[in-house]
Amino acid sequence: MNSWDILLQQIINGVSLGAMYSLLALGFTMVYGIIELINFAHFNVFMVGSFIALWLMQAMGIVGQSTILYGLPLIGVLVLVLVVTMLGAGVLGVAIERVALRPLRGVSGTAPMITTIGLSYIIYNLVLLNVGADTKNFSNPLPNIPWAIGGATLRLREVLLWGVSLVLMMGLHYFVRRTKMGKAMQATAQDQEAARMMGVDVDNVVVITFFLGSALAGAAGLIFGLYYNYTSFVIGYTAGLRAFTAAVLGGIGNIPGAMLGGILIGLIESLGGQYLEVRWTDVIIFSILVLVLVFRPSGLMGRTAPSKS
Amino acid sequence: MSAPAETRRNGITGIWDRMLSEEWQLKVGLVLFILALAFPLIDGNEGDIDAAANATAFAILALGLNIVVGFAGLLDLGYAAFFAIGAYTYGIFSSYQVQPEWSSFWEPFRWLGLVQQLHSSSGVDHVHFAVSFWLMLPISALVAAFFGVLFGAPTLRLKGDYLAIVTLGFGEIVPIVARNTPYLTNGAQGLNGVTTPSFFGYSFGVQSTPFYYVGLAMIVVLIFVSMRLKDSRVGRAWMAIREDEIAAEAMGVNRTRLKLLAFAIGAGFAGSTGTFYVAKLQTATPEMFMFPVSVMLLVMIVLGGMGSVAGVVVGAVFLQLLQSWFLQDLTQGVHWLGRVTGIGLLERVDLVQSIELIFGIILVLMMLYRRQGLIPARRDVHALTLAQQTAVPSRGGIKGEMKPLHRKAIDPGKPLLQISGLRKAFGGIQAVRGLDLTVMPGSIIAVIGPNGSGKTTFFNLVTGLTQPDAGKVLLAGEDITGLKPDAIVERGVARTFQNLRLFANMSVMENALVGVHSRTTTGALGAVFRPPWVKREEEAARQHVLGVISIFGNRLMPRVQHLARTLSYANRRRLEITRALVTEPVLLLLDEPTAGMNPTETLELTDQIRDLRERGVTILLIEHKLNVVNEIADRVIVLDHGEKIAEGTPAEIQRNKEVLSAYLGRTAATAAAAS
Amino acid sequence: MPTSDAQPQQRQPLLEFKDVDTYYGELHVLKGVNYVVGEGEIVALLGGNASGKSTTMKTILGIVRPARGSVTYQGEVINTLPTAERVKRGIAPVPEARRLFPRMTVLENLEMGAFTRDDKVEIEADKDRVFQLFPRIKERLTQQAGTLSGGEQQMVAMARALMARPKLLCMDEPSMGLSPAYVEQVFDLIQAINRQGTSVFMVEQNANMALSIASHGYVLQTGEVVLSGSAKSLRDNEMVQQAYLGEMKVA
Repeated sequence: MNSWDILLQQIINGVSLGAMYSLLALGFTMVYGIIELINFAHFNVFMVGSFIALWLMQAMGIVGQSTILYGLPLIGVLVLVLVVTMLGAGVLGVAIERVALRPLRGVSGTAPMITTIGLSYIIYNLVLLNVGADTKNFSNPLPNIPWAIGGATLRLREVLLWGVSLVLMMGLHYFVRRTKMGKAMQATAQDQEAARMMGVDVDNVVVITFFLGSALAGAAGLIFGLYYNYTSFVIGYTAGLRAFTAAVLGGIGNIPGAMLGGILIGLIESLGGQYLEVRWTDVIIFSILVLVLVFRPSGLMGRTAPSKS
Repeated sequence: MSAPAETRRNGITGIWDRMLSEEWQLKVGLVLFILALAFPLIDGNEGDIDAAANATAFAILALGLNIVVGFAGLLDLGYAAFFAIGAYTYGIFSSYQVQPEWSSFWEPFRWLGLVQQLHSSSGVDHVHFAVSFWLMLPISALVAAFFGVLFGAPTLRLKGDYLAIVTLGFGEIVPIVARNTPYLTNGAQGLNGVTTPSFFGYSFGVQSTPFYYVGLAMIVVLIFVSMRLKDSRVGRAWMAIREDEIAAEAMGVNRTRLKLLAFAIGAGFAGSTGTFYVAKLQTATPEMFMFPVSVMLLVMIVLGGMGSVAGVVVGAVFLQLLQSWFLQDLTQGVHWLGRVTGIGLLERVDLVQSIELIFGIILVLMMLYRRQGLIPARRDVHALTLAQQTAVPSRGGIKGEMKPLHRKAIDPGKPLLQISGLRKAFGGIQAVRGLDLTVMPGSIIAVIGPNGSGKTTFFNLVTGLTQPDAGKVLLAGEDITGLKPDAIVERGVARTFQNLRLFANMSVMENALVGVHSRTTTGALGAVFRPPWVKREEEAARQHVLGVISIFGNRLMPRVQHLARTLSYANRRRLEITRALVTEPVLLLLDEPTAGMNPTETLELTDQIRDLRERGVTILLIEHKLNVVNEIADRVIVLDHGEKIAEGTPAEIQRNKEVLSAYLGRTAATAAAAS
Repeated sequence: MPTSDAQPQQRQPLLEFKDVDTYYGELHVLKGVNYVVGEGEIVALLGGNASGKSTTMKTILGIVRPARGSVTYQGEVINTLPTAERVKRGIAPVPEARRLFPRMTVLENLEMGAFTRDDKVEIEADKDRVFQLFPRIKERLTQQAGTLSGGEQQMVAMARALMARPKLLCMDEPSMGLSPAYVEQVFDLIQAINRQGTSVFMVEQNANMALSIASHGYVLQTGEVVLSGSAKSLRDNEMVQQAYLGEMKVA
């Protein structure tokens, strides 16, 4: 492979990673936009999502990468797993909100964020205790069909990934911009009291936001498994850091920003891993996080700097 | 981040809280300390002593983090970074890790005993850093503090959540850098060849007991330092920042400097502990300093009580004991329970492994049900004598010896305040447009005008809370335009807020003492060591504050130890004025001081404001009640839509038609004619 | 409390406050206030700063709950009714400083006003009605609400409230921050809306303008109603000025 091919390959990889981070960042940023809360637990909901997908597929008899499906059965399985995973993750997200966050609504300071740190730990450790620390081979019914683009390889799984992410993101975009509930969400994010005065049930809006955001995280979990062919209890942490940075980079609370940020971070990760050294990737990404917060807290697409003190 | 409110509940929590008086804490603390001293003699088990020695390290870390999070309200999720920095500093200067080539440059250091010359068979000699452990304790503290300032300077101005994320970032970068720079740190394999400390020839070797006592000593020292800091000018400034940053700055507290101070001191504690820990473990790996450690420290503080020194120590010790001792026994108990009830999960679970799960549960439960922690932070103010408490009854100013409230020499002939061309726009809205004003010393000027006319913005521009787009503000000839609020307080301008910005969880006395901040100079060192001059300054400050509080007679005096949020509305207004007066201002800006007061209270305060003039204070007053304005104002300026539309004596203003129409609105005819 | 003319004639009360007390923490904001808004009327609530005007508005909307007394709407006591329910029953707010949703378009803001309704045909009809009353809005439908001028925003805020097809329009300081030209337009529009059958309860600092269109009014001072009566009598009353600007010794 010549250097252009390598570049192209890494761009392909970067976009795939970016799609996943975008989905993760989206859910995270939506919640922040509505209630100005940094929800650490979000990234472990992602991790749980991947396990839900794994268990479901194992229950259906798809183990490892040996069971390959094609055509309609493939699509059917994928859709089923996606829907169940998203539902499961969504419910988990709502549970988190009702149990631990609603009682703290209105409490100023960092108490709510600390609570999400605690929740994150609980979820993480419950999964660890249940499944063990080893990485799990992910069930993957996708056939390994590569296409050559120049010297680079584009695989079916990547195309599928992009497709699913795109559909989900467009679905979210449509929902938020076109439906009545979506507009209620926008209104609540922009001026909660005025929304209440219009008759919006703010509590309901928050629940729906959590549900959607967590469902997206679950979808991202399934995508992770299908892309890497493995999952483990730590993936929330590593992917979480990147998605977090993506959300901040794009402008926290800003939905298109999360998508942009996700792609950028994905590209940075793959290109950085290629041209610098992989072991420095984390440092680079954390540094981006710190630099954005210090020099441009509103991110690339945000309007004003966050006002919460 | 404001401190969690103390709740006086009945029932068990109420009894527990009432038991925790400071005397009681002191007595129990003493007993526990004696037990701790005797511990290795009582329990000879090396494993137990080792665990206890490790526990002391984490207790010290928790105390350090408490200063950052509990005192100053800065949520630091990456505290372990400073722990790492201290550890690796010791690793560099006291192990075989870093061995530069020998040269004559190192001679004087060898003579001082800080390095050794290693002869190697290949002929090239190397430097072996062998700085003594005792010397490294303060050195690593300084190194860590330096990094604290480095990390903090660009980031401490971020708001709570964001600061937490950034510190988390630093907390992650440091161990990764450590892992990837094996030259300095031996990467993931861990340091080796770390010098073990020796005390007057007695080498600690691999025994835990000497480390245990050193750790204990460090805990005592740090408890002492924490308590001294807390009850000092520095501690009060931190608390004020934690309660309400803006108000703190408006009372003269330099936010940036104090936040950096807290951050650096906390970092320093962690740095020393890093050295201690590495010396004991004889190694350091990046895994020892990662996010879970920072979280564990946070759990200790949350469990024990943020801001409470005793609480934090209890939290730290409890969690360490939990990990090392209780959990194993508890696991047996849970297994038994599992067998009895037939629940398989219980039979299999290993609680020792699930310590992190327990941390998470503790965090969530504490935040939901007891945010103030097991042992809530208390601030006991020195009790006043009965005579002081019942001083000067009834309303009215103090007759008799009228000392001037401020010490600046003011030329009565020259203007005190000169404002020219002041402008400020927010987005598209011109809040203040081209304001000119001259205020002579000793006068009381009332600023009136309808809602949205720019009065409070005007005050904010003068006191530095907002930066003007154009114009100048001169105080006694000195240009103070655009200075930060604390700098303006230093020059003698103080203010109160329309919506009251008291430090709710601090007492009346403490609120007022924050006002003295800009007139006193005790720093962290002074707070800890309390030399005679510091004691004198503190005493003088208290006297001064009591003197100002007594202006309001028995309204505030009997309540000096009460928390500000328990005061009546009128008393809170009075306290805010007191706090501003304590800064010894030449110019006092009062923003609707009588708002919400009934006519009697209004009358009383009006008299008191007039008396302030006798004490040399010039006053600018935003007021809506025209009878107040008529009573005490020498001149009145009227603002409308950000401009001055009239200026004159109260009588002149009341007759002014323009003023009336500004307030009551133009009639339809006038409006039509104008458009 | 002093009134400045004879007993008001019989009115069918749409909204009534009876001896309402509200608190903000320990601060006693509204002290035993009484208001009556009849159907088809424009009623003005006047007062200076910190008089309790905004709290009155919040109490009507349900954002603040009375500690004592009753708020009655269409004969029903609504003290504890949630805000959304009140909007459904026909109380629509035009909040202080407009409070439009800044990053939503003008059209979307209007649609938010109809949030509690699901009768699509009628909502479309109301949109047309609103376009007729506020012709300039039609030109700006796709513009982001936050980019409009103050006066334009006020128009949109009023239109948004009308989209709820309210029986009672609650306006909190509609003239604040507006240039004189817009102030006049706003008050003309309020009259037009009223003529079409919507009752209006208006909190205003601009007493002259408010009284020129209201049927009767109340003057609030540090939480107490110190004057009330027909608009005409209040207009000619010197005491309004005093009560407004300073402490009036309450008899």
